[in-house]
Amino acid sequence: MKRIPALFVPRRLNELAYGVKLVVYALLLLWTAIVLFPLYWLVITSFKLPIDVADGPNYLPFVDFTPSLHAWKYIFFDLGRDTLRPYVNSVVVSSVATVVAVLIGSMAAYGLARIEYRPSVGAVAMFVISTAAAASLMFWGGANWLLAIASGAAVFFILLRVLAKRFRRRLGNDDILFWVISQRILPPVVTAIPIYLMFKQLGLLDTRTALVITYATVNLPIVVWLMFDFFSAVPSELEESAQIDGASRFGIFFDIALPLVKPGLVATSLLVLILCWNEYLLALFLSTAEAQTMPLLVAAQNATRGPQWWYMSVLIVIMICPVIVLTVTLQRFITKGLLVGAIKG
Amino acid sequence: MSATVPVRSKSVALLGIGKTFGTVRVLRDLSLEVHPGEFLVLLGESGCGKTTALRIIAGLEAASEGRVQIGGEDVTERLPKDRDVAMVFQSYALYPHKTVAQNIAYPLTIRRMAHAAIDAQVKEVAQSVQLAHLLDRYPRQLSGGQRQRVALARAIVRRPSVFLMDEPLSNLDAKLRGHMRAELKHMQYELGITTIYVTHDQIEAMTLAHRVALMDKGVLQQLAPPAHIYSDPANLFVAGFIGSPPMNFLRGRLADGIFQAPGVRVTTSRSLDGAEVILGVRPEDCTLADPSRAQLQGRIYSIELIGDHTLVTLKAGEQEVVVKAPNIFSGEMGGSIGLCVNPERVYLFRAQSGERIRG
Amino acid sequence: MSALPSSAFLDRQARTAFILPTVVIILAFAIFPLLVSAYLTLVRFQLAPGGYLLTFVGWSNFRKLLFGSEQYHFLGTFDTVSPLEWLLIGVLGVFLILRIARYALGPSASVIGLIGRLIAVAALVAALVLCAVNTGGTARLGSLSVTLFYVTAGVTAQFLIGLGLAYLCTLPVRGRDFYRLVFFLPLMVTPVGIAYMFRMLADTTVGPLAPLWDAVGLRATSWAADPWSARIVVVVGDTWQWVPFMFIVLLAALEGQPRDQVEAAQIDGANGWKIFRDITWPSIAPVAASVILIRLIEAFKIVDLPNILTNGGPGIATESMTLHSFIAWRTLDLGGSAAVAYMLFFVATIGCVSFFQFVVRRARGEPAR
Repeated sequence: MKRIPALFVPRRLNELAYGVKLVVYALLLLWTAIVLFPLYWLVITSFKLPIDVADGPNYLPFVDFTPSLHAWKYIFFDLGRDTLRPYVNSVVVSSVATVVAVLIGSMAAYGLARIEYRPSVGAVAMFVISTAAAASLMFWGGANWLLAIASGAAVFFILLRVLAKRFRRRLGNDDILFWVISQRILPPVVTAIPIYLMFKQLGLLDTRTALVITYATVNLPIVVWLMFDFFSAVPSELEESAQIDGASRFGIFFDIALPLVKPGLVATSLLVLILCWNEYLLALFLSTAEAQTMPLLVAAQNATRGPQWWYMSVLIVIMICPVIVLTVTLQRFITKGLLVGAIKG
Repeated sequence: MSATVPVRSKSVALLGIGKTFGTVRVLRDLSLEVHPGEFLVLLGESGCGKTTALRIIAGLEAASEGRVQIGGEDVTERLPKDRDVAMVFQSYALYPHKTVAQNIAYPLTIRRMAHAAIDAQVKEVAQSVQLAHLLDRYPRQLSGGQRQRVALARAIVRRPSVFLMDEPLSNLDAKLRGHMRAELKHMQYELGITTIYVTHDQIEAMTLAHRVALMDKGVLQQLAPPAHIYSDPANLFVAGFIGSPPMNFLRGRLADGIFQAPGVRVTTSRSLDGAEVILGVRPEDCTLADPSRAQLQGRIYSIELIGDHTLVTLKAGEQEVVVKAPNIFSGEMGGSIGLCVNPERVYLFRAQSGERIRG
Repeated sequence: MSALPSSAFLDRQARTAFILPTVVIILAFAIFPLLVSAYLTLVRFQLAPGGYLLTFVGWSNFRKLLFGSEQYHFLGTFDTVSPLEWLLIGVLGVFLILRIARYALGPSASVIGLIGRLIAVAALVAALVLCAVNTGGTARLGSLSVTLFYVTAGVTAQFLIGLGLAYLCTLPVRGRDFYRLVFFLPLMVTPVGIAYMFRMLADTTVGPLAPLWDAVGLRATSWAADPWSARIVVVVGDTWQWVPFMFIVLLAALEGQPRDQVEAAQIDGANGWKIFRDITWPSIAPVAASVILIRLIEAFKIVDLPNILTNGGPGIATESMTLHSFIAWRTLDLGGSAAVAYMLFFVATIGCVSFFQFVVRRARGEPAR
C-alpha cells in the first residue's frame, strides 16, 4: 500500500486531515476577506475627509486618519430633502412594485400549477394578429394608443367568434409558463424606449406610478417561475380536501395555498424587492427629478469635480443597510424557501 | 347514537364509469352500487384504478364516460362541494397553518356557520374522537394516530351523506393501524354513514367491509361480502389476491376428472377432459402426509415457524406449494414429503383466461 | 393537476381570473413595447418643429450596425485571421454540421428542432469568427464581443468560484452558518454601488492596494486606460456580486445530494475526486445547468457596472450592448438604439434558448427538442 504523508491522515473519522484543513480554512477566509474588505473600505471611506482619501490609502480609523462625520452630516442635513426624496421614492416604488408583482405573479403561478389551461393556437394567433393591427394603426394611422388598443381588442373578439372553432391545436400550461418565464430573457433596454414613449403619452414620465408598473412587469416572470415551483411542491390533497369541504378557488388560494408557501413567498418577495431596490437602467429612462431613485442619486455623485467618494459611500451604506437587515431577519425563509425552487430548477 | 341508518345516509352508484389519462385507460366500464349506510371497500394493488374511482365519486376527477349518482341523483357534472361527501386522504391533508380546532371547523367556516354553532359542533366531534384536549395544537405537534383522528373529525363534523376514505390507515405503524381499524369500524357502525374506503390491504378490506369490490387493471373483478370473496373467488386473480399466505396454484391437465401434473394427482368432481387448467388450494386446506399415501410428492424447500403454526414450502418438480402445518412440525429441510388436499376445497381455473371452472 | 368537471360557469371565471392579470400586463408592457421597438428599428427619428418625425428607412439601422458607419462600434474592427484559427473554426463547424445531419436523419428529427440546431450552430460559429477577427494587432472589440466577453468570462468565473466555495462549505468545517451569511452579502449591494466601490478599490494611487501596485511598479499606470484591464475590472465587479447566487444554490444542491450513495462509494474505497465526479456532479448537474441559465439570462443585460465603473471607456472598449443602446438613445438616435437593443434581444434569446435546449435539458436527462 502507498504511504500517505501523516499531514493528510485525519485523526478521527469525519474530520479533515491537518493539511487539507489548513487549505480549506485558508480559502474560506480568503473569500471572506474578499467579500468583507470592499464593504469595510466603503464604510471607512464614509467617515473620511476628502484629504484622507486624496492622501493615499488610509486603512485604520483613529490610527491612519481621524474619522469625521462631515459626509454623513452633508447627506442627512445639508442635502436633507434631496436625500430623503429619492429614498422615499425607492422605498415606495420597490415595495409597491414587489407587492403587485408577487400578488399577480403568485396568482398566475397558482393557476398554472393547479388548473388546466388549454388555449387554442388559433385564438393566440388571432390575438397576435389583432395586436399587430392595433400597433400598426397607432403608428401609420396616427391613432392614439387608447383607440388603437380598443380597435385591436375588437378585431380580436370578432376573429375569435368567427374563426376560433377552426383551429383545433391547443397549448398547455407548460407553454404558457414557458412564455411567461421567457419574458425574463427580454433585455429591458429593448422595451425601455417604447415604454418611455408610452408613459410620455400618458403623462406619467418621472412618476412613481410609471416605475411601479415597469418594475412589476420586468419581475413578474421571476415571481411566476419561483412560485410555480413552490405551488407545485405543495401536495394537492390539501387543496382537494378544501375543495370537497366547499371552498371556492379563490378561497383555497388565499386560505390554504398561500399560507402553505409562505417561506417561498417571503423569499420571492425579498428577491424581487432587492432587484427593484437596485434597479438602475429603467429608472434612468423613466425618471429625472421627481421620481429619482437611490441608484440614480448614487450615480449622480460622480460630479464635475470628480467623484465625491465620501458622499457616495454614505449613500451606498444607507442603501445597503436596510437590505442586509431585512435579509438577516428573513434568512430562515430564504434558506428554506428560495432553495426549494432553485433546486427543482 | 344508535345503529339505525340515519335518514341522511345516501346510496352511491357508478354507472359504466371509464377514465383515460392521455392514452392510458385506468378505468373500464365500472358499475357498482353502494347501499345507504353500507361500508364498501375498494381493494386492489396500486395502479388498479381504485383511487381514481374514489376521486371520480368525490368530483376531484371527471369521468371520461359513465355517470355518477349519489342518493339517486345524477351528480356527474357537479362540483365536489355540491356532492355532500367528505373525504379522508392518505396523508390526512391537515392544514399545517391551522390548529386542530380550526382544521376541524374548516368545512363549517366555509359555509359561514355562526361561530357559536361551530364551536359547539367542533367540541362535540372532538370529544367523540378523543381530541378534546388537543384542540389548540398544530398538526405538526401531533402523533400519527392523533392526526388521523383530526382528519376523521373534520370529515364527521359536516355530517355528510357519504364518507370517502383513501387509504386512511396506511401511514400508521402496524400496531396503531389495528387499533384504528377497530375504531373506524365502530364509528361507521354508530354513525351509519355510507362509506367508500380504498385500500390495498386485504386485512383492512376483510375486517371493515360489508362488501368488498376487488379491482385489477381498472376492471372490477368481484363484488361480494368478505366471507364470500374468500370462499368463493370469481376468478384466478381474486383467488390469488385474497388470503395470506396466498392460495397455491398448480399447473396441469384435467383428464377423466383427475388433475394431473408431474408428481401430482388430484381427483376432482369436474369433467373437462384434456383442458389445461390451474388448480388452486389454500395452504390451510392442505395436510402433510407420508409420501406413499399422498396426492403430491415433493421435497421440503423451507420451514418457517410463525408461532401458532408452521409454514412448510414443498417443491414438486417445478412447482411450489405452501402448507400451513401445526406448530410442532418434525420434518427437515430437503427431506421428502407428501401432501393431501381437501377435495372439497379445491378450485379449478382455466389456464388461458383465469376463469373459474365450477362443478 | 386536477381536471375538474368543467360545467360550473363561476369556476371557469375564477380559472381565467388567476392568469389574466399576468397575461395582460405582459402583453401591455412587454410584448406591445417589443413590437413598437421592432417598428422603431426600421425608422429614423428626427426632432421637428412641434414634435418629431419618423421616417421609414427599412433595414438601414441594422445595415449601419453590421456593415456601415456603426460597424466599429457594434462589431469592432477586424484584423486578419491566421489560417490556423480558420482551420480550427472550420473543423468545429464541420463537426457540428455532421452532428446536425445525423440528427436530421435520426428518428426524432423535427423541422423546428432542425432549424433550432442550425441557428444555434450558426450563432456559435459566428461568435467564434467574431472572436477571431476581433483579436490581433489592429483589431478592436465592438459592443457585441464585449458583451459576449462579459457573459462568458463572468458566468464561468462565478460558477467555478461559487461551486468551489459551496464544496468547501460542505466539508466538516466550523462556522458554516457564518460563511453562508457573509458570502451572501454582495448580492444585496446595488450594482451602482459596486461599481463605485471597485473604482475606489482599483485606484492605483490612493486605493487600498496602492502599496501592491507600487511594489510591482504599476503605480502611475491606470487600469482604466487599457481596454483589457478595464474590461477585467468590470468582470471582477460582476463576479464579486454574483458568486453568492451561485454559491447559495449550489450549496443547497450539494447538501441535497444522496448521502447513502456517497457513503456506499466511501465504503467501496473511492477517493474524494472520484466521489465528486461519479456521484456528486451527476446529482447536482441539473441544478448547475439551471443556475447557469438564470445567470446567463441576467448577464446579457449588464449595464450598470461598465457605465459607472469606466463610463464605457477607454473609448468604447467596455461598452456593453445595453450601454451602447442607451448611449444611442441619449443622442436621440432612436432607430439605432432600438436596432442595437434588438440585436441584443436576438443574441440573448439564441444564447439562452440554445443553452436551455442543449445543456439544461440534457443535464436534467430530458431529450433536447
